[in-house]
Amino acid sequence: MTIQKTSLHNEHLILKAKMAPFAGFDMPLQYTSVKEEVQAVRTSAGIFDVSHMGEFLVEGMDAVAFVDFLITNDFTNAQDRKAVYSPLCRDNGTVIDDLIAYKLGHQRVLICVNASNIKKDWDWMSSHLSGFNCTLKNLSDDYSLLALQGPKAESLLRELGLLEIKEFPYYSIMETSFQNEAIIIARTGYTGEDGFEIFSGHHFAQKLWRDLISLGAKPCGLAARDVLRLEVCYPLYGHELSDDVTPLDSGLSWTVKLNKALFIGKQALLDYLPKFQLIKLSLDKGIPREGYEVLDSNARVIGKVTSGTMSVVTGKGIAMALVSKEKNPTDKKYFINIRNTNYEAQLHTKAFINGGHK
Amino acid sequence: MAHNIPTDLKYTKDHEWTKIDGNIVTIGITDFAQSSLGDIVFVELPEIGKNLKAHETFGVVESIKSVSDLFSPVSGSVVEINNDLPASPELCNAEPYSGAWMIKIKLSDSSELNSLLSANDYENFLSSL
Repeated sequence: MTIQKTSLHNEHLILKAKMAPFAGFDMPLQYTSVKEEVQAVRTSAGIFDVSHMGEFLVEGMDAVAFVDFLITNDFTNAQDRKAVYSPLCRDNGTVIDDLIAYKLGHQRVLICVNASNIKKDWDWMSSHLSGFNCTLKNLSDDYSLLALQGPKAESLLRELGLLEIKEFPYYSIMETSFQNEAIIIARTGYTGEDGFEIFSGHHFAQKLWRDLISLGAKPCGLAARDVLRLEVCYPLYGHELSDDVTPLDSGLSWTVKLNKALFIGKQALLDYLPKFQLIKLSLDKGIPREGYEVLDSNARVIGKVTSGTMSVVTGKGIAMALVSKEKNPTDKKYFINIRNTNYEAQLHTKAFINGGHK
Repeated sequence: MAHNIPTDLKYTKDHEWTKIDGNIVTIGITDFAQSSLGDIVFVELPEIGKNLKAHETFGVVESIKSVSDLFSPVSGSVVEINNDLPASPELCNAEPYSGAWMIKIKLSDSSELNSLLSANDYENFLSSL
Protein backbone atom coordinates (compact mmCIF):
# COMPACT_ATOMS: atom_id res chain seq x y z
CA MET A 1 0.00 0.00 0.00
CA THR A 2 1.35 3.41 -0.88
CA ILE A 3 1.54 5.87 1.95
CA GLN A 4 -1.11 8.60 1.91
CA LYS A 5 -0.58 12.31 2.43
CA THR A 6 -2.99 14.79 3.94
CA SER A 7 -3.69 18.09 2.19
CA LEU A 8 -1.34 19.73 4.69
CA HIS A 9 1.60 17.46 4.00
CA ASN A 10 3.57 20.17 2.27
CA GLU A 11 2.94 22.58 5.17
CA HIS A 12 4.51 20.03 7.52
CA LEU A 13 7.56 19.72 5.30
CA ILE A 14 7.91 23.52 5.12
CA LEU A 15 7.83 23.61 8.94
CA LYS A 16 10.50 20.85 8.97
CA ALA A 17 8.35 18.50 11.02
CA LYS A 18 9.73 15.12 11.95
CA MET A 19 7.48 12.85 9.86
CA ALA A 20 6.49 9.25 10.51
CA PRO A 21 4.01 6.79 9.05
CA PHE A 22 0.80 6.50 11.07
CA ALA A 23 -2.29 4.54 10.02
CA GLY A 24 -1.13 4.58 6.41
CA PHE A 25 -0.46 8.34 6.35
CA ASP A 26 2.83 10.22 6.46
CA MET A 27 2.10 12.35 9.51
CA PRO A 28 3.96 14.98 11.58
CA LEU A 29 5.29 13.49 14.82
CA GLN A 30 6.70 16.75 16.12
CA TYR A 31 7.72 20.18 14.86
CA THR A 32 9.94 21.82 17.43
CA SER A 33 9.73 19.93 20.70
CA VAL A 34 7.07 17.67 22.21
CA LYS A 35 7.36 19.50 25.53
CA GLU A 36 6.82 22.91 23.95
CA GLU A 37 3.90 21.61 21.91
CA VAL A 38 2.17 20.09 24.95
CA GLN A 39 2.73 23.29 26.94
CA ALA A 40 1.28 25.39 24.12
CA VAL A 41 -1.96 23.38 24.20
CA ARG A 42 -2.21 23.51 28.01
CA THR A 43 -1.52 27.23 28.28
CA SER A 44 -2.30 28.85 24.92
CA ALA A 45 -3.31 27.17 21.65
CA GLY A 46 -1.98 24.41 19.45
CA ILE A 47 -3.09 23.28 16.02
CA PHE A 48 -3.05 19.68 14.78
CA ASP A 49 -3.54 18.21 11.33
CA VAL A 50 -5.83 15.25 12.00
CA SER A 51 -7.02 14.89 8.42
CA HIS A 52 -6.06 11.23 8.49
CA MET A 53 -9.17 10.54 10.58
CA GLY A 54 -12.25 9.16 8.84
CA GLU A 55 -15.60 10.85 8.32
CA PHE A 56 -18.85 9.11 7.48
CA LEU A 57 -22.13 10.88 6.79
CA VAL A 58 -25.47 9.22 7.55
CA GLU A 59 -28.52 10.87 6.00
CA GLY A 60 -32.21 10.05 5.92
CA MET A 61 -35.30 9.37 8.04
CA ASP A 62 -33.59 6.66 10.08
CA ALA A 63 -30.16 8.29 10.37
CA VAL A 64 -30.39 8.73 14.14
CA ALA A 65 -31.97 5.29 14.72
CA PHE A 66 -29.24 3.65 12.63
CA VAL A 67 -26.42 5.31 14.57
CA ASP A 68 -28.15 4.53 17.87
CA PHE A 69 -28.35 0.87 16.83
CA LEU A 70 -24.62 0.83 15.95
CA ILE A 71 -23.19 2.45 19.07
CA THR A 72 -23.40 1.61 22.77
CA ASN A 73 -23.96 5.17 24.00
CA ASP A 74 -27.34 6.90 23.78
CA PHE A 75 -27.71 8.84 20.55
CA THR A 76 -31.50 8.96 20.26
CA ASN A 77 -31.91 11.35 23.17
CA ALA A 78 -28.98 13.58 22.28
CA GLN A 79 -30.12 17.04 21.25
CA ASP A 80 -29.58 18.34 17.75
CA ARG A 81 -26.09 19.78 17.25
CA LYS A 82 -24.64 17.67 20.06
CA ALA A 83 -21.68 15.30 19.90
CA VAL A 84 -21.68 11.86 21.50
CA TYR A 85 -18.57 9.81 22.20
CA SER A 86 -19.10 6.05 21.95
CA PRO A 87 -17.54 2.68 21.38
CA LEU A 88 -18.69 0.72 18.32
CA CYS A 89 -19.06 -2.93 19.30
CA ARG A 90 -19.58 -6.34 17.73
CA ASP A 91 -22.43 -8.64 18.72
CA ASN A 92 -20.10 -10.22 21.29
CA GLY A 93 -19.39 -6.83 22.84
CA THR A 94 -15.78 -6.44 21.71
CA VAL A 95 -14.70 -3.03 20.45
CA ILE A 96 -14.42 -2.36 16.71
CA ASP A 97 -13.52 1.29 17.22
CA ASP A 98 -14.33 4.33 19.31
CA LEU A 99 -15.87 7.32 17.59
CA ILE A 100 -17.68 10.62 17.92
CA ALA A 101 -21.16 10.87 16.38
CA TYR A 102 -22.30 14.42 15.67
CA LYS A 103 -26.03 15.08 15.38
CA LEU A 104 -26.06 17.71 12.63
CA GLY A 105 -29.84 17.39 12.47
CA HIS A 106 -32.47 14.75 13.12
CA GLN A 107 -31.80 13.28 9.67
CA ARG A 108 -28.06 13.97 9.37
CA VAL A 109 -25.25 12.47 11.39
CA LEU A 110 -21.52 12.94 10.94
CA ILE A 111 -19.35 10.19 12.40
CA CYS A 112 -15.64 10.70 13.00
CA VAL A 113 -13.60 7.48 13.31
CA ASN A 114 -9.97 6.50 13.84
CA ALA A 115 -7.81 6.53 10.71
CA SER A 116 -6.54 3.01 11.30
CA ASN A 117 -10.10 1.66 11.43
CA ILE A 118 -11.77 3.43 8.49
CA LYS A 119 -12.13 0.31 6.36
CA LYS A 120 -13.11 -1.94 9.27
CA ASP A 121 -15.76 0.54 10.44
CA TRP A 122 -17.04 1.13 6.93
CA ASP A 123 -17.45 -2.59 6.26
CA TRP A 124 -19.19 -3.09 9.59
CA MET A 125 -21.55 -0.14 9.32
CA SER A 126 -22.49 -0.69 5.69
CA SER A 127 -23.26 -4.36 6.37
CA HIS A 128 -25.88 -3.31 8.96
CA LEU A 129 -27.60 -0.68 6.85
CA SER A 130 -30.38 -2.86 5.46
CA GLY A 131 -33.75 -2.17 7.05
CA PHE A 132 -32.84 1.43 7.84
CA ASN A 133 -34.13 4.23 5.66
CA CYS A 134 -30.88 6.15 5.35
CA THR A 135 -27.68 6.35 3.32
CA LEU A 136 -24.10 6.05 4.49
CA LYS A 137 -21.30 7.89 2.72
CA ASN A 138 -17.57 7.71 3.32
CA LEU A 139 -16.31 11.30 3.08
CA SER A 140 -12.87 10.57 4.52
CA ASP A 141 -11.09 11.65 1.34
CA ASP A 142 -13.21 14.78 0.92
CA TYR A 143 -12.58 16.36 4.30
CA SER A 144 -9.50 17.84 5.86
CA LEU A 145 -9.68 18.07 9.64
CA LEU A 146 -7.85 20.58 11.81
CA ALA A 147 -7.94 20.50 15.62
CA LEU A 148 -7.37 23.81 17.36
CA GLN A 149 -6.91 23.10 21.05
CA GLY A 150 -6.13 25.11 24.16
CA PRO A 151 -7.46 27.88 26.39
CA LYS A 152 -6.91 30.47 23.65
CA ALA A 153 -8.58 28.41 20.90
CA GLU A 154 -11.90 30.24 21.17
CA SER A 155 -10.39 33.72 20.99
CA LEU A 156 -8.32 32.74 17.94
CA LEU A 157 -11.38 31.43 16.10
CA ARG A 158 -13.30 34.59 16.98
CA GLU A 159 -10.40 36.77 15.83
CA LEU A 160 -10.50 34.98 12.51
CA GLY A 161 -14.25 35.55 12.24
CA LEU A 162 -15.00 31.85 12.18
CA LEU A 163 -17.02 31.77 15.38
CA GLU A 164 -19.76 34.35 15.45
CA ILE A 165 -22.43 32.79 17.64
CA LYS A 166 -22.26 33.51 21.34
CA GLU A 167 -23.28 30.19 22.81
CA PHE A 168 -21.36 27.21 21.56
CA PRO A 169 -21.02 24.69 24.37
CA TYR A 170 -18.42 21.93 24.69
CA TYR A 171 -19.34 18.79 22.71
CA SER A 172 -21.59 20.58 20.26
CA ILE A 173 -21.34 21.13 16.52
CA MET A 174 -22.45 23.60 13.88
CA GLU A 175 -22.54 23.80 10.13
CA THR A 176 -21.61 27.18 8.82
CA SER A 177 -20.09 28.85 5.84
CA PHE A 178 -17.07 31.07 5.81
CA GLN A 179 -15.78 32.85 2.71
CA ASN A 180 -18.20 30.76 0.63
CA GLU A 181 -16.86 27.49 2.04
CA ALA A 182 -19.24 25.10 3.79
CA ILE A 183 -17.50 23.99 6.98
CA ILE A 184 -18.40 22.08 10.10
CA ILE A 185 -17.07 23.23 13.45
CA ALA A 186 -17.23 20.95 16.49
CA ARG A 187 -16.23 21.91 19.99
CA THR A 188 -14.45 18.63 20.62
CA GLY A 189 -10.92 17.35 20.84
CA TYR A 190 -8.52 14.83 22.23
CA THR A 191 -6.46 16.91 24.63
CA GLY A 192 -8.73 17.63 27.61
CA GLU A 193 -8.55 21.35 26.83
CA ASP A 194 -11.21 23.52 25.34
CA GLY A 195 -10.93 23.43 21.58
CA PHE A 196 -12.43 22.91 18.18
CA GLU A 197 -12.27 20.45 15.34
CA ILE A 198 -12.90 21.97 11.93
CA PHE A 199 -14.01 19.82 9.00
CA SER A 200 -13.55 21.50 5.63
CA GLY A 201 -12.40 21.09 2.05
CA HIS A 202 -8.67 20.69 1.49
CA HIS A 203 -7.87 24.08 0.04
CA PHE A 204 -9.70 25.88 2.84
CA ALA A 205 -7.84 23.80 5.43
CA GLN A 206 -4.49 24.87 4.01
CA LYS A 207 -5.45 28.51 4.34
CA LEU A 208 -6.93 28.03 7.82
CA TRP A 209 -3.76 26.25 8.94
CA ARG A 210 -1.60 29.20 7.89
CA ASP A 211 -4.00 31.80 9.27
CA LEU A 212 -4.23 30.16 12.67
CA ILE A 213 -0.46 29.81 12.89
CA SER A 214 0.02 33.46 12.00
CA LEU A 215 -2.37 34.35 14.83
CA GLY A 216 -0.20 32.39 17.25
CA ALA A 217 -1.43 28.79 17.25
CA LYS A 218 1.55 26.46 17.62
CA PRO A 219 1.73 23.52 15.19
CA CYS A 220 1.63 20.30 17.22
CA GLY A 221 2.37 16.75 16.14
CA LEU A 222 1.08 13.31 16.99
CA ALA A 223 3.66 12.82 19.76
CA ALA A 224 2.27 15.81 21.68
CA ARG A 225 -1.27 14.60 20.97
CA ASP A 226 -0.46 11.26 22.59
CA VAL A 227 0.96 12.88 25.73
CA LEU A 228 -2.00 15.27 25.96
CA ARG A 229 -4.61 12.52 25.73
CA LEU A 230 -2.74 10.32 28.19
CA GLU A 231 -2.41 13.10 30.78
CA VAL A 232 -6.21 13.34 30.83
CA CYS A 233 -6.65 9.53 30.49
CA TYR A 234 -8.48 9.38 27.18
CA PRO A 235 -8.29 5.86 25.73
CA LEU A 236 -6.65 5.18 22.37
CA TYR A 237 -7.81 2.41 20.07
CA GLY A 238 -5.12 -0.26 19.75
CA HIS A 239 -4.01 0.41 23.32
CA GLU A 240 -6.75 0.63 25.95
CA LEU A 241 -9.36 -0.48 23.43
CA SER A 242 -9.03 -3.32 20.96
CA ASP A 243 -10.75 -6.20 19.25
CA ASP A 244 -10.00 -8.28 22.37
CA VAL A 245 -11.78 -6.23 25.04
CA THR A 246 -15.24 -4.82 25.68
CA PRO A 247 -15.91 -1.24 26.81
CA LEU A 248 -16.70 -2.68 30.26
CA ASP A 249 -13.07 -3.86 30.55
CA SER A 250 -11.62 -0.50 29.60
CA GLY A 251 -13.24 1.98 31.94
CA LEU A 252 -15.96 2.93 29.45
CA SER A 253 -19.05 1.56 31.21
CA TRP A 254 -20.35 5.16 31.26
CA THR A 255 -20.65 4.92 27.47
CA VAL A 256 -22.65 1.67 27.50
CA LYS A 257 -26.34 2.40 27.98
CA LEU A 258 -27.78 -1.02 28.71
CA ASN A 259 -31.24 0.49 29.32
CA LYS A 260 -31.62 1.89 25.83
CA ALA A 261 -33.37 0.13 22.91
CA LEU A 262 -31.73 -2.71 21.04
CA PHE A 263 -28.19 -2.04 19.89
CA ILE A 264 -25.41 -4.24 18.57
CA GLY A 265 -23.68 -5.97 21.47
CA LYS A 266 -26.44 -5.25 24.00
CA GLN A 267 -27.17 -8.85 24.97
CA ALA A 268 -23.51 -9.81 25.23
CA LEU A 269 -22.73 -6.75 27.34
CA LEU A 270 -25.75 -7.38 29.61
CA ASP A 271 -24.38 -10.84 30.38
CA TYR A 272 -20.70 -9.88 30.46
CA LEU A 273 -18.50 -10.11 33.53
CA PRO A 274 -15.46 -7.90 32.88
CA LYS A 275 -12.11 -9.69 32.70
CA PHE A 276 -10.01 -6.56 33.03
CA GLN A 277 -9.96 -3.26 34.82
CA LEU A 278 -8.30 -0.16 33.41
CA ILE A 279 -6.16 1.56 36.04
CA LYS A 280 -4.13 4.77 36.10
CA LEU A 281 -0.62 4.66 37.55
CA SER A 282 2.21 7.12 38.00
CA LEU A 283 5.86 6.70 38.96
CA ASP A 284 8.19 9.12 40.68
CA LYS A 285 11.19 7.56 38.96
CA GLY A 286 11.20 5.94 35.56
CA ILE A 287 8.84 6.01 32.61
CA PRO A 288 6.27 3.26 32.13
CA ARG A 289 5.94 2.11 28.53
CA GLU A 290 3.39 0.10 26.61
CA GLY A 291 3.84 -3.61 27.27
CA TYR A 292 5.62 -3.28 30.64
CA GLU A 293 4.32 -5.75 33.22
CA VAL A 294 2.20 -4.63 36.17
CA LEU A 295 2.67 -6.66 39.36
CA ASP A 296 1.15 -6.91 42.83
CA SER A 297 3.07 -6.78 46.13
CA ASN A 298 3.83 -10.49 45.81
CA ALA A 299 5.54 -9.81 42.47
CA ARG A 300 2.81 -11.67 40.65
CA VAL A 301 2.13 -10.34 37.14
CA ILE A 302 -1.44 -9.03 37.06
CA GLY A 303 -1.52 -7.01 33.85
CA LYS A 304 0.22 -4.80 31.36
CA VAL A 305 0.73 -1.12 30.64
CA THR A 306 -1.38 -0.18 27.61
CA SER A 307 -0.01 3.38 27.22
CA GLY A 308 2.81 5.11 29.05
CA THR A 309 4.84 8.26 28.77
CA MET A 310 6.41 11.10 30.71
CA SER A 311 3.83 13.71 31.64
CA VAL A 312 5.00 17.11 30.50
CA VAL A 313 2.80 18.83 33.08
CA THR A 314 3.60 16.71 36.17
CA GLY A 315 7.09 15.57 35.16
CA LYS A 316 6.22 12.03 36.26
CA GLY A 317 5.96 8.77 34.40
CA ILE A 318 2.28 8.09 33.77
CA ALA A 319 0.45 5.04 32.48
CA MET A 320 -2.84 3.39 31.87
CA ALA A 321 -2.81 -0.37 32.38
CA LEU A 322 -5.22 -3.24 31.94
CA VAL A 323 -5.07 -5.56 34.94
CA SER A 324 -6.87 -8.80 35.51
CA LYS A 325 -10.08 -8.20 37.44
CA GLU A 326 -9.59 -11.49 39.23
CA LYS A 327 -6.00 -10.75 40.28
CA ASN A 328 -6.55 -7.08 41.09
CA PRO A 329 -5.04 -6.74 44.60
CA THR A 330 -7.19 -5.60 47.51
CA ASP A 331 -4.27 -3.66 49.03
CA LYS A 332 -4.24 -1.47 45.87
CA LYS A 333 -0.45 -1.72 45.65
CA TYR A 334 0.89 -1.85 42.12
CA PHE A 335 4.39 -2.19 40.73
CA ILE A 336 5.69 -1.70 37.21
CA ASN A 337 8.61 -3.73 35.93
CA ILE A 338 11.16 -1.59 34.11
CA ARG A 339 14.29 -3.36 32.89
CA ASN A 340 13.97 -6.10 35.52
CA THR A 341 13.33 -3.83 38.48
CA ASN A 342 9.88 -3.47 40.04
CA TYR A 343 9.02 0.13 40.88
CA GLU A 344 6.08 0.88 43.16
CA ALA A 345 3.51 2.96 41.33
CA GLN A 346 0.93 5.35 42.66
CA LEU A 347 -2.70 4.55 41.87
CA HIS A 348 -4.83 7.42 40.62
CA THR A 349 -8.61 7.40 40.72
CA LYS A 350 -8.85 10.53 38.55
CA ALA A 351 -6.96 11.64 35.45
CA PHE A 352 -3.37 12.80 36.01
CA ILE A 353 -4.37 16.39 35.33
CA ASN A 354 -7.61 18.26 34.89
CA GLY A 355 -8.03 19.53 31.38
CA GLY A 356 -9.44 23.01 31.01
CA HIS A 357 -12.46 22.19 28.85
CA LYS A 358 -15.79 23.55 29.95
CA MET B 1 20.88 19.55 9.03
CA ALA B 2 24.52 19.94 10.01
CA HIS B 3 25.40 18.46 13.36
CA ASN B 4 28.13 19.50 15.69
CA ILE B 5 30.96 16.94 15.66
CA PRO B 6 33.96 18.17 17.71
CA THR B 7 37.23 17.03 16.15
CA ASP B 8 38.98 16.27 19.45
CA LEU B 9 36.59 13.39 20.24
CA LYS B 10 36.19 9.83 18.93
CA TYR B 11 32.83 8.34 18.00
CA THR B 12 30.83 5.12 17.63
CA LYS B 13 28.15 4.03 15.19
CA ASP B 14 25.78 4.00 18.19
CA HIS B 15 26.05 7.82 18.14
CA GLU B 16 28.15 8.10 21.25
CA TRP B 17 31.26 10.20 21.73
CA THR B 18 34.34 9.37 23.75
CA LYS B 19 37.06 11.57 25.13
CA ILE B 20 40.28 9.74 25.85
CA ASP B 21 42.50 10.98 28.64
CA GLY B 22 45.23 8.42 29.40
CA ASN B 23 43.36 5.31 30.50
CA ILE B 24 40.15 7.18 31.39
CA VAL B 25 37.43 7.33 28.72
CA THR B 26 34.54 9.80 29.11
CA ILE B 27 31.35 8.83 27.26
CA GLY B 28 28.26 10.71 26.13
CA ILE B 29 25.79 10.87 23.25
CA THR B 30 26.32 12.96 20.12
CA ASP B 31 24.53 16.05 18.94
CA PHE B 32 22.97 13.91 16.19
CA ALA B 33 21.67 11.46 18.83
CA GLN B 34 20.10 14.13 21.02
CA SER B 35 18.48 15.90 18.09
CA SER B 36 17.08 12.62 16.69
CA LEU B 37 15.64 11.65 20.07
CA GLY B 38 14.05 15.03 20.79
CA ASP B 39 13.34 16.14 24.36
CA ILE B 40 15.27 13.79 26.63
CA VAL B 41 13.32 13.29 29.84
CA PHE B 42 15.06 10.41 31.62
CA VAL B 43 18.60 9.11 32.00
CA GLU B 44 19.61 5.96 33.85
CA LEU B 45 23.31 5.41 34.58
CA PRO B 46 25.20 2.47 36.14
CA GLU B 47 26.71 2.32 39.61
CA ILE B 48 30.31 3.31 40.14
CA GLY B 49 32.51 0.21 40.11
CA LYS B 50 30.44 -1.67 37.55
CA ASN B 51 32.54 -3.66 35.11
CA LEU B 52 31.49 -3.31 31.50
CA LYS B 53 32.46 -5.18 28.39
CA ALA B 54 32.70 -3.38 25.07
CA HIS B 55 29.23 -3.06 23.46
CA GLU B 56 27.48 -3.94 26.73
CA THR B 57 24.48 -1.80 27.75
CA PHE B 58 25.39 0.61 30.55
CA GLY B 59 22.23 2.66 30.82
CA VAL B 60 19.30 4.20 28.95
CA VAL B 61 18.16 7.56 27.68
CA GLU B 62 14.48 8.12 27.17
CA SER B 63 12.72 10.78 25.18
CA ILE B 64 9.00 11.31 25.56
CA LYS B 65 8.37 8.76 22.81
CA SER B 66 11.25 6.31 23.01
CA VAL B 67 13.70 4.30 25.08
CA SER B 68 17.29 3.93 23.81
CA ASP B 69 20.04 1.80 25.29
CA LEU B 70 23.47 3.26 25.92
CA PHE B 71 26.36 1.00 24.92
CA SER B 72 29.82 1.05 26.39
CA PRO B 73 32.27 1.55 23.52
CA VAL B 74 35.11 -0.05 25.51
CA SER B 75 35.68 -2.55 28.29
CA GLY B 76 36.56 -1.36 31.77
CA SER B 77 35.14 -0.28 35.09
CA VAL B 78 32.96 2.73 35.77
CA VAL B 79 34.96 5.20 37.88
CA GLU B 80 32.64 8.21 37.76
CA ILE B 81 29.07 9.01 36.72
CA ASN B 82 27.47 12.37 36.02
CA ASN B 83 25.16 12.83 38.99
CA ASP B 84 23.55 15.91 37.44
CA LEU B 85 21.97 13.97 34.60
CA PRO B 86 19.23 11.97 36.33
CA ALA B 87 17.87 15.22 37.81
CA SER B 88 18.48 17.30 34.67
CA PRO B 89 18.13 15.01 31.65
CA GLU B 90 17.47 18.05 29.44
CA LEU B 91 21.23 18.72 29.63
CA CYS B 92 21.56 15.97 27.00
CA ASN B 93 19.76 18.24 24.54
CA ALA B 94 21.43 21.46 25.61
CA GLU B 95 25.04 20.38 26.11
CA PRO B 96 25.59 16.91 24.66
CA TYR B 97 29.39 17.26 24.60
CA SER B 98 29.97 19.05 27.90
CA GLY B 99 27.41 19.16 30.74
CA ALA B 100 25.82 15.89 29.59
CA TRP B 101 28.86 13.62 29.75
CA MET B 102 27.53 10.35 31.16
CA ILE B 103 30.19 8.09 32.60
CA LYS B 104 33.95 7.73 32.89
CA ILE B 105 35.44 4.31 32.38
CA LYS B 106 38.87 3.09 33.39
CA LEU B 107 39.97 1.28 30.28
CA SER B 108 41.02 -2.36 30.55
CA ASP B 109 42.09 -2.94 26.94
CA SER B 110 43.51 0.05 25.11
CA SER B 111 43.51 -1.81 21.77
CA GLU B 112 39.71 -1.33 21.70
CA LEU B 113 40.31 2.37 21.07
CA ASN B 114 41.39 1.50 17.53
CA SER B 115 37.82 0.67 16.56
CA LEU B 116 36.52 4.17 17.40
CA LEU B 117 35.70 6.58 14.60
CA SER B 118 37.39 9.93 14.02
CA ALA B 119 35.16 13.01 13.67
CA ASN B 120 35.63 12.76 9.93
CA ASP B 121 34.67 9.06 9.84
CA TYR B 122 31.60 9.75 11.97
CA GLU B 123 30.52 12.58 9.72
CA ASN B 124 30.83 10.27 6.72
CA PHE B 125 28.86 7.63 8.59
CA LEU B 126 26.05 10.14 9.31
CA SER B 127 25.83 11.19 5.69
CA SER B 128 25.54 7.52 4.68
CA LEU B 129 22.40 7.07 6.84
